[in-house]
Amino acid sequence: MDIELSAADLQFQQEVRTFLEEQALQPGMNPAQWSARWFAAATAKGGWDVPRWPKEFGGPGWTAAQHYVWDQETAKHTLPFDSPFGVVMLAPILMAYGSVEQQQRFLPAIRARSVQWCQGYSEPGAGSDLAALKTRAVLSADATHYLLNGTKIWTSAAHLADWMFCLTRTSEAARRQQGITFLLLPMRQPGIDVQPIITLGGRHHVNMVHLSNVTVPVENRVGKEGEGWTYAKGLLQHERIGIANISRSRAALAALKQSASAALEEHSFRMRLAAIEVDLMALEFTELRSLAAMSSGMSVGPESSILKLKGTEVQQRIQKLAMEAAGLQGAAWGPTSGSLMGGAATARETVESYLTGRAATIFGGASEVQRDVIWKNVIRQRS
Amino acid sequence: MNLELNEEQALLRDSVARFVGEHYSLEQRRSIVRSERGHSAEHWQMMAELGWLAVPFAERDGGMGGSAIDTMVMMEQFGKGLVLEPFFTSIVLGGAALRHGASDNIKQRLLSGVIDGTRQLAFAHAERSARFDLQHVATRACPDGAGFVLHGLKSFVLNLEAADTIVVSARTGGAITDRDGITLFLLERDCPGVSIQSYPTVDGGRAGDLSLHGVHLARSSVLGEVDAGCGIVNAVASEAMLALAAEAVGAMQVLYQDTVQYTQQRIQFGHPLANFQVLQHRMVDMFTEYELARSLLYRATLESAQSLPSAQRSIHALKYLVGRAGMFVAESAVQLHGGMGMTEELRVGHYLKRMLVIDLLFGNAEHHLQKFSE
Repeated sequence: MDIELSAADLQFQQEVRTFLEEQALQPGMNPAQWSARWFAAATAKGGWDVPRWPKEFGGPGWTAAQHYVWDQETAKHTLPFDSPFGVVMLAPILMAYGSVEQQQRFLPAIRARSVQWCQGYSEPGAGSDLAALKTRAVLSADATHYLLNGTKIWTSAAHLADWMFCLTRTSEAARRQQGITFLLLPMRQPGIDVQPIITLGGRHHVNMVHLSNVTVPVENRVGKEGEGWTYAKGLLQHERIGIANISRSRAALAALKQSASAALEEHSFRMRLAAIEVDLMALEFTELRSLAAMSSGMSVGPESSILKLKGTEVQQRIQKLAMEAAGLQGAAWGPTSGSLMGGAATARETVESYLTGRAATIFGGASEVQRDVIWKNVIRQRS
Repeated sequence: MNLELNEEQALLRDSVARFVGEHYSLEQRRSIVRSERGHSAEHWQMMAELGWLAVPFAERDGGMGGSAIDTMVMMEQFGKGLVLEPFFTSIVLGGAALRHGASDNIKQRLLSGVIDGTRQLAFAHAERSARFDLQHVATRACPDGAGFVLHGLKSFVLNLEAADTIVVSARTGGAITDRDGITLFLLERDCPGVSIQSYPTVDGGRAGDLSLHGVHLARSSVLGEVDAGCGIVNAVASEAMLALAAEAVGAMQVLYQDTVQYTQQRIQFGHPLANFQVLQHRMVDMFTEYELARSLLYRATLESAQSLPSAQRSIHALKYLVGRAGMFVAESAVQLHGGMGMTEELRVGHYLKRMLVIDLLFGNAEHHLQKFSE
C-alpha cells in the first residue's frame, strides 16, 4: 500500500500541469473557440478529451494514479463546459452493449462533441420509480421500426440536443423492468415537441418532451428488445465515479475561501468550512479507492456507492456557505457577470448556483433513492 | 500508487483477525476486564511470540521495520474485538517515544524487553488541567546535581499499574503552555517518590494518576534533548491518532454490521425491523460515515508512511472525522438495537464506550477540526 507517485507519474503530473497552463482560459478569449481548441489539444495528447474511456475506444488507458493526478490538477483550473450525456453516460453503454456499427456510427461524434445528446429517462409518472415508465415503443409489422408515443420530463438540454437516448416500454412484462428497450433517436424530426421548464434559478436547463408517433428504425435499438433496463443500470456503478464532481467541489471550496474574507472571521463559519473540506478529502480518497479497484480489474467496491450521495451533499453545503458569505447581497437578483466561471462569482451567480444546485440531490437518483439502492445492493447483500 | 495490502500485510491482518476471532468473544473479553491487571498475560505472551510487538521497531533494534500501514492493519483488527492487551500503550505510545527519542544506549537496554513482552511501557503526558493542549505541562523537573528532581501529577496514564517503565513529560523551562522547555524522562515504576493511583476506565481499560514527589532521575534517563521534548510528544501523538483511528474503523465495521444483522432478525409490527425504510436509511448513513472514515484513514496513514508534508493536516482531519463518524455509528447502533442496545449483554454498548474514549484521547473531534482550520 502506498500513494507514492512513481517517476513516470510525476512526469505525467508535470505534463498535465503544462497542458492545463498552456490551454488555460485567458481574459478576452471567445469561450466557444477556447473550448474547441481545448478539446482539440486534449485529443492530440492521446485521449485526454475522454479520460475515462478505455484504451480500445481511444481513451488514454490511465492508471488509477494518473486519474488521481488528473483530477487533482484539473480541480485547480477552469475547464470548458462539457455535457456529460454523450461522453460520460451514453458512450460506456454503447461500448458495452452497442453493435460495432453503432459504436462506429456514434462514438466519433460523441467524442468530437459535435453531436449533443440528451437523456430520455424520467416521465411525469416515473421519477424516482423509473421502472414505471410508459412511453410506448411498438414494433412495426415488418419489424423495421418502432413507433413511439409518450412524454419525457426533466430532460436536460433537450432543446440543445441533436439526439436522445431513451428508455421505452416494449412490453407489459410481469416484472416491469423486463419490458424496457433502449433506443436512440434524432431530436429534429416530426412528432417531437420540446417544451421548456424554467427551474428555481430562473434558467432553462430542463424540458418536457412529447413524443407523438415518432419513428425509430430498429438499427437504433441498443442491444436486445426488453433488456434496456439492464443496460441503463448496469453501468451506474461506473458512472457514479465522476458523477460526484469532487474536483469541481474542490475548486468551488477554494474559490469560496478566496472570496469569503468577512465570513471567515466568524468561528462557526470556519468550522463548517473545515468540516466540508474534511468530507471532501475523504471523498477524494474514496474515489481513488474505486479507481484503484477498477484499474486492477476488480469490480468497483461498495464504497463507490456513496460517491453520488455524499458528493452532491458536499456540493450543496458549499453553495449554502457561499450564500452565507454573500450576506444580504445574496438576496439581490442583480446582473450576472456574463463571463464563464473565471473570476469571483457575483452575488447573483451565487444565489443562482445555490438554487440550481438543489437539483443535484434529486437528479440521477434522488438521495433517498440512493439510500434505498445502497441498502439493497450493498448493505443487505453483504450481510 | 497502490491501495492493496501486500502479502505480508495481508498475512498480518489475517493472523490478528484469527486471534481476535478465537480469543475475543464478549464473554472472553468480560473475564479479562475483570482480571487483576485488566489484560491477559497469556495473550500478551502470544502477541510477543507472534512477533506483533516487534512490528514498528527498526530491524537494527530487533524489530520488524514495519510502517504506519502495518500498525494500521493490526489496530483495525484489534478494534474489531475491543482488544484489551496494551499494544496501543506499550508499543504505539511508549514504543514511539523510544523510537523518536531514545539514544542507542537506552534502546539497547529497553527494547528487547519491550519486544519480548517482559517490559511494558506507559506514556505519562496528560495533566488534569491541560484538556487537549499537548504543550500544557505543569509538572516540573528541576536540575539537581547531575540529574533532575521531578514534582507534579500526571493524569489518565493508560496501563499505568502494569507498566514497568514510564515515559514522563516534565517542564525544564518556559511557561506552562510553551512549546520549548518540555523534557521527556524514563522512569522506573519502583523509583522513590513515585505513587500511583489506578482506576478503571469507562471502556473496560485501566489507567491511573501518577504523582511525582521529589523523584530523582539521572541525566541518562532523559529521552532526546532537554527542553526539546515537544517534538517527540507530537510525533507520538501523530502515531497514536493514526492507530486509534484504525481501531475506530475496525470497531465501526462491527457496529454497523451487528446493527444490520440485528434489525434483520428482530421482528416488530410483524416484520423484521430492517424492512422499515427509516431504519434502512439510518444504516446507510452509518455505512457511509464508516466508509468515509476508512478512506481518510488510508489517506492519512499513507501520507504519514511517506512523510508527506500534508500528513499532519490529514491527521487532524482524520481525528475529527473518526470522532464524528465513530460516535454517530456507535450511538446509532445502540439506538437501533433499542432496549437491548442499552444492556451490557450485547456488544454494541461496549463499542460505544470504547468510541467515547477514542474520541477523547489526544484531542476530540472538535479540537482537531479547530486545528485543521488553522
